Order: sequence, then C-alpha cells, then structure tokens
Amino acid sequence: MPGKGLIVRQRSLIAITAALAAGALTLTACGSRDNGKSSDSGSGGGTTVTIGVDAPLTGDLSALGLGIKNSVDLAAKTANKQNYVKGVTFKIEALDDQAQPSSGQQNASKLVADNGVLGVVGPLNSSVAESMQKVFDDAKLVEVSPANTNPALTQGPDWQKTKARTYKSYFRTATTDAIQGPFAAQYVYNDSKKKKVFVIDDKKTYGAGLAATFTEEFKKLGGTVVGTEHINPDTKDFSAVATKVKNSGAEVVYYGGEYPQAGPLSKQIKATGAKVPVVGGDGIFDPTFIKLAGANSTGDLATSVGAPVEQLPSAKEFVANYKEAGYKEEYAAYGGYSYDSAWAIIEAVKKVVEDNGGKLPSDARAKVTAAMQNVSFDGVTGKVSFDEFGDATNKQLTVYAVENGAWKPVKSGTYTG
Amino acid sequence: MNELPQQLVNGLLLGAMYGLVAIGYTMVYGIVQLINFAHGEIFMTGAFGALTVYAYVLPDGTSMWVALPLMLIGAVLVAVVVAVGAERFAYRPLRNAPRLAPLITAIGLSLALQQAVWAWYPEAKSARTFPQIDGGPFHLGNVTIQTGDIFLLAAAPISMAVLAYFVMKTRTGRGMQATAQDPDTAKLMGVNTDRIIVIAFALGAVFAAVGGVAYGLKYGQVDFRMGFILGLKAFTAAVLGGIGNIYGAMIGGVVLGIAETLATAYIADLPGMEKFGSQSWADVWAFVLLILVLLLRPQGLLGERVADRA
Amino acid sequence: MTTDTTTKDATPDATAPGQVVLDARGVTMRFGGLTAVRNVDLTVNSGEIVGLIGPNGAGKTTFFNCLTGLYVPTEGEVRYKGNVLPPKSFKVTAAGIARTFQNIRLFSNMTVLENVLVGRHTRTKEGFWSAVLRGPGFHRAEAASRERAMELLEFVGLAAKAEHLARNLPYGEQRKLEIARALASEPGLLLLDEPTAGMNPQETRTTEELVFAIRDKGIAVLVIEHDMRFIFNLCDRVAVLVQGEKLVEGDSATVQGDERVIAAYLGEPFEDAPGDAEVAEVEAAEAQAEAQTDAAPGKENDR
Repeated sequence: MPGKGLIVRQRSLIAITAALAAGALTLTACGSRDNGKSSDSGSGGGTTVTIGVDAPLTGDLSALGLGIKNSVDLAAKTANKQNYVKGVTFKIEALDDQAQPSSGQQNASKLVADNGVLGVVGPLNSSVAESMQKVFDDAKLVEVSPANTNPALTQGPDWQKTKARTYKSYFRTATTDAIQGPFAAQYVYNDSKKKKVFVIDDKKTYGAGLAATFTEEFKKLGGTVVGTEHINPDTKDFSAVATKVKNSGAEVVYYGGEYPQAGPLSKQIKATGAKVPVVGGDGIFDPTFIKLAGANSTGDLATSVGAPVEQLPSAKEFVANYKEAGYKEEYAAYGGYSYDSAWAIIEAVKKVVEDNGGKLPSDARAKVTAAMQNVSFDGVTGKVSFDEFGDATNKQLTVYAVENGAWKPVKSGTYTG
Repeated sequence: MNELPQQLVNGLLLGAMYGLVAIGYTMVYGIVQLINFAHGEIFMTGAFGALTVYAYVLPDGTSMWVALPLMLIGAVLVAVVVAVGAERFAYRPLRNAPRLAPLITAIGLSLALQQAVWAWYPEAKSARTFPQIDGGPFHLGNVTIQTGDIFLLAAAPISMAVLAYFVMKTRTGRGMQATAQDPDTAKLMGVNTDRIIVIAFALGAVFAAVGGVAYGLKYGQVDFRMGFILGLKAFTAAVLGGIGNIYGAMIGGVVLGIAETLATAYIADLPGMEKFGSQSWADVWAFVLLILVLLLRPQGLLGERVADRA
Repeated sequence: MTTDTTTKDATPDATAPGQVVLDARGVTMRFGGLTAVRNVDLTVNSGEIVGLIGPNGAGKTTFFNCLTGLYVPTEGEVRYKGNVLPPKSFKVTAAGIARTFQNIRLFSNMTVLENVLVGRHTRTKEGFWSAVLRGPGFHRAEAASRERAMELLEFVGLAAKAEHLARNLPYGEQRKLEIARALASEPGLLLLDEPTAGMNPQETRTTEELVFAIRDKGIAVLVIEHDMRFIFNLCDRVAVLVQGEKLVEGDSATVQGDERVIAAYLGEPFEDAPGDAEVAEVEAAEAQAEAQTDAAPGKENDR
C-alpha cells in the first residue's frame, strides 16, 4: 500500500544497506591487515625500536610472505634475548600488501607515520617495491628487501647502459635478475643442453624482467627462442598456451613469474603430452609449486639467490632456531634473506646508538640509513654487505630441481660476467 | 593450424564452466531482476564443499569413483544453503527497495563470503589442492582430453537437458516462467512467487556447484578467490547469450570461452598484432566481441527473457 | 453435487443456486487522500450473473482488486462463501475466485496450453521435489492437467491453437484464452473485467454465449462492462458505481430508468432543453421513419 510508510521504509532500507556494505568493506580491510600484529619480543626497559615488515601475508604468495614475517620476528627476538643493542628492545610491525602495489604504498605511508619504525624489511615483489621506494626515501627511512630482484630498483631505470642509484635508502640482500636470468640461461644451455626454449612471463615487473635477461643471455649463447607468451596471472586456465607450447617444438620452457601460476602452467603443459621441463626463477622456488604442479613436475628447475640455506653452517643455526620458535609456517625461500635484512637493520641501529653515547639520536632514521651503507657481518646466507648501489655483494646462486616431490639443489655457483 | 581442434576443445571446456555458472546469474536476473554478484562465491563455496567431503569426511585413499558422487552432493548442499540463505536474509528484505540496494548488498556479500572462507576454512589462505581422477589423458586424433575434462564434457549438456525439461515440462517450471514474465498475474493464478524465487536461487546454486567441482577436477586446486573473476565472466556470458534465457547462458558461456582461447592462440599470429595477442590480451578481445554483439543485437544472441515491468 | 437440472458438468466448486457466493460489505478503499471506493455492498448468489457498470474512473476495477486480494480494503470486509478472503492474492485463487483483466495479462512467451496449465497451478499440488524425482504420480498428474486444460480450450473454442504462442493470437482469441485460464483454477466465482472491450458485435455475441455457458456450469459471474446491450442481455442484476459509491442496484429496467444513472452517464439536462411538446413532435417524425424498421420498444440504442 503506498503512502508515507513506504517512503520511510525505503529510506531506512538504504541506510541499512549502506551500513551493511560499509561493514563488508571494513571486513575486507581487516582481513588485509595481519592479525598477528606487532609481537612484543622480549621485555626490558629502555627504548623500543620497531622494525616494519611489508609482504603478502594473504593471497597466493602468502607462503613466502609469512616466511618473511616470521624470520624478521625471529631476528628481533634473538636480538632482544642477547640484549644485542643495550637499552633497545626490538619489535616488529607486519603489514599485508597482498602483492598489490597500491597496498604497498599505503603500508609505506603507515610505517613512515609511526615514529618508532627505524627500518623496514620488504617487500617481496619488485612491482610493489616500485610504489614504496619514494615514500621511504622522502622520510629517509631505510628499506631492505630480502627478495626484490629487479635490477632497476637499485641501478636506475636505464641500468643496462648507465647505472645510477636513485634511492639512497633502498637496499637488498637478494641478487638481481640481471644475474639470475643469465645464470639460468647458462645452466639450461650448457648443463641441460637444451637449445630451443619457449619463454613465458606474467607481464609483471619481476617476471617480465627475469624473462628478458634470460632470453638475452640464451640467445647470446646460441640458443633459439621458438615462441613467447604472456599469461594473465588472475586466471588458472592456461590450456591455450600449453597447446601452443606443445606444437612449437620447444625442448624447455622458461617461465618468469611466481608459483601460483607456474604450478598450474607446468601441470597443464605436461598434460598436453609435451615432455618438457619448466624452468623458473626464485619466484617459483616454493614447495607449493610442486604441490600445484603435481606428480609430473619432476625435472622442473628453479634458480634461487644464494647458496642452499641448509648447507651453510650459519644457516643451520637459523634453521634450528626457527624450528624452536615454533612458527606455523615454513621460512620458505626468503626466510634466510629476511633474517639477514632484519639483522642488517639491527646492526645499523646498534652503530647509531653506540655513536650517540648509548641513546637514540633525534634524527635516528637518517643516521640508520647512512649506517646501513657500511654494515658488514656474517649472516645466515653468507657475508652480508652492500655495494654502492645498495645491492648485495653476495652474488651466489643455486639451481634446484624437483625430485621425489621436493626441491633438491643441483648446482651452486657465482655468476660472473 | 593443426592445433585448432585442440584449441577449440580448450575453449569449449572453459566455456562449459562459464555456462554452468552463468545459469545461476540468468535465472535469478530473469525472475527478480537482480544481478547476484555473490554467485561467483556460491560457485566457490560449492567447490570447497566438495573438498570438505573429500578431505575431512571420507577416509584417506577413497577411490574417486566412490568419492566423486559424494563430493557432488557435498558441493550442492553447501552451495544451495549459501544461496537460499542469501536470498532469505540478504535479498528478500530488500525486495521493494530501490534497485541499487540489493546490488550493493550482493557485492558486499561476495566480499564477505570470500573473506569468510579465507578466515575460517583450514589452510585456505593459499590455494588448496583438489583431488584428481587418475587415468591418462585420452587422445582423439590431434586432441588430448584429461579425465577431469570428461566430467565437464558430460556434466554441462546433462545439466542443460535436466534444466530444460524442468522448466518446460513441470508445474513448478511453468510457475517459474510465469513469475519471470508477469509476477503479479502469476500470483493471481495461484503461483507462490516467493517460493519460486527460492527455487530459482537454489537451482542456480546446484549448477554452480557442479561447475565448482568441474573447476577443481580440471585445475587441481581451489582457492577463496576463484569465483571472483570467473563469476564476472559468467555474468558477461549470460548477457551475451540473452539475460534471462537459460539456453543463452550456456551458449554465451561457450562462445566466450572459445573467443578467449582462440584470441590467446591466434591473434598474435596476425600480421602486426604481435603486441595484442597472448593470454593477457585474451580478455580484451573477448569483451570486444561482447560489445560488438550487444551493439548489433542488444538483446543478446538468443534474446532476453525478462518480465515486462510496464 | 447439485440438483439443478440446468447445470450439466458442474465444476467441483459449484454451489446450489440461491446460495450466497460473494458477500462484500461496506468495502472502502482509500489511497492516501483519495477515496476510490466508498462503502460498497454487493452480493452475488450462485447461478447468477451480476453486472457492475459506471462511468470511467468510478472505481470498478479497484473494487475488483479488493475482491481478489491485490488490495486489502481500508474498511469493510469481503466474504467468499462465508469465509473472509485471505490477504495474499495467490491464496484467493485457491479459495475459488478467478478473474480476467481489463488490459490482457497473458504470459505472452508461453503457449496457449501452457497459459491454461499455469491457471491450474492451484488445483495441482506436484511441487519441486515431485518434479525432481518424477515418480509415476507426477506423470499421472501432468497428464490429467493437460487433459483438463485441453477440455477448457475446447470449451472456449481454442483447442486447435493449443501450441501457438500466446502473443501470436488475434485480440479476440487472447480474451478467450484469458477466460480459459481463469476457468482452469476451477473457481466458484468468476470476475470479468470488460471482457468485450475492443470487440465487434459478432465477437460480443460469442462472448455472451460463453458467459451463459459458464453460468450453466454452476459458476457465479460478476462482470464489469461498458457495452449496455451486452450487460442488459446477460445480467440478472446490475449495480451502478459512480465516483466510488453504489448508486443503485436492480434488474435492467430499474437501472435504465433511474434518472441518476442517466445523469451520471449523460450529464444533467441544460436550461434550453426541449420541452414536452417539442419532444412529441420529434417522436412523431421518428415513428414515421421507423415504420419500416423493427426497433423493439424499451431497448436502448447502441452506445
């Protein structure tokens, strides 16, 4: 029945719906922030220094992101236990970027606004780093990434011709794709003896960059690229691409991208009957890749920065401590690098505090950033120090192969040239 | 060119999945003129329902021949409960509200369902593996078909046939047609339109659940976001085929799937089009096709079936 | 079920003649500030055809809507066979009232037969689960429904077009289909809203005969119409609604002769109206002209 009653009902319905929608959106926002929050590691008085962490804690890459977070947490806890920096207690503040550049930038602003944050570990993705560097640099807040591999982040957009460091506050403990791609190309051409490759990437900064450096080196060695493809990372249906690979006569597939897509891609390529191995970079180096790719992934290869964590004596201690701390998730591919990145921040803070008579100076952030350049110690992944661009001086790489449902290191080396 | 049959089969399979999900969009829109944006999540919860049966209810190592029917039942149960619950608590109270209100509610519900699975389903923060049917791929000439694909190839036409029979030849089905065309008159004929609406939601959920199981079998994994993009595309497929028209939903789905696959496979080979080919452009081409079809034939390929609300 | 010899195959809901089928008392319908129907009483007995006339906008269709549950009357009550009507329209049909519409409301994308089958919706109970499981009971019920529907189509003369789409029928046949669909729910009372609107005299006659046949089946009929010849041929009683109020009710002679009814339709006489002498002159002249024709006295001219 029409009348005033109906209009009032409509208005309150709109109000209720708006509230519901707002509630639902808030729910998502809550979900995107890490529920673990900043874990208070260790007691003791004195000042508290926060180490920020930015990584994909949810979504496809959460396995890697959570490993990063836990490893940084372990570093903070260890420093507190040893009272490594007198008068300073470390805690972490972990934020989720879901591998989205927009989220990364928001998180960067948030961390900058928190005065207790003197250094940030992260992000995982090169594309996310691009949106965060300037925000940190403007605040002179030091950022150490355990996993970004795109060379342009430290050497400038024109790095192939002229290297120029754009951001003095950005450092990384991982090696770049400028090295990882060619390293893989050499292995595939010289060791696996495959001459015809089909190159696929996911068009993101990391994947496309890696595929490009691989292709350049592979061609230089004398190999042929029989086909290229770009996949859409949002979908899981790669049947069309897999069929193309099968009909191209390729002996091997090189994929620049991450494991949530690499797994199904490998599975679907093998399903067409093409018995070619899939080779990728550190983005696919995760146990989840093997789970998603299925039983036919035996023989697939991945490169990763550094030597196998399990083989270094310093790493064994890290592995033991990590296990003892009882984290639910594995430290994953970047656990060791994250630990070292956090420790680098801790070392820098220690230097600044000691130079200032045991107290934090008022311009702590700028001083920590400056001190980072000279940090040098023996870390989990080997010797940790930075060159003039902020890149890690440790240029070790390892090739891993899928064997019996797990990654096994096959060849370790240092890339030259 | 000899890969064309395989690419067509690839496209057909992808399209069949779009079609199964599109049925739910088209039925609900035909009867209550609501775009149920949460339908992609109904598809997703159906898949998780099937996974639950396999991973937590059945003993380890159950053969897929025994497990699959039970998983289907699990999928359908979960999907129908979610869909009917959504209708009862989220949409029905807004039946007389301005059209925007249920639309926003649907979007909110879609987000809420995704996050609910993310938050509470064990280990659902990254993808979970879905059981596969053993058995080698089958080869027909140049074409390879996986065991999971066979399920989809059978499920899609059977579903359409069952649905068509139901809608055309049963009393309830006629009631649905009548409600879709003229709800007030249908009420006067004694059709309980409220109940018909619930049935429409439930039926849509059944087919989405079948689609969810098909997805799991085909790709070997399910994750909380699998329904998001696929749902949008399925809705597009429904519009392409003629919104409200259940045959249009399947036809639209297949056309969209084939268009995407052929665009991925062949556009890059056209002279001068290398930059516009490959899978990252496939969606663009599929939507260009949609726009062209709607420009030339706004009611979709098979024509709309929506009530004339004069 | 009935002892009246004129009712042959009576419908299950038919009642013995003389019983009250519809009893509307004091029905008032207000929409905000507008009162569309004001305190209207109307009864319909079984075996009767009652007419409802009045100028456009008098509230006739609104009154019908009150009788079928589309509107709930602001005041007053409507009883069907002694029971108050349920407020939901689909239950009204189940109770035994069916109607047709002023502007045709068929399901245009369904066939003729399917339209009638929908009309039978209340009288069959095969629901969702029965359709899914499709046991023998389901098939029997479907077949019985179809048979009944075909009978109704034959009754109205549309059996040959059972598989045609409803929207492809010519206008007159669409009206017949509406009536068949209404009959499919086996009502005790049929409400017809302007059934001959837009029809030529021949179609009107056919409709007249159809309504008589419906009455003979034991269904009471309440008709809204503007065609006076149709109404006065058909109806046992006529009620006149003007501006929402019932002005007069009675047989055709009473209503036609009532001055207020004439005034409502034709307006008040004006001051220079012809006096009695002039009227007599005109009548004499006309009588001469009409000597050859067969115009019977007392019958109103065509509208």
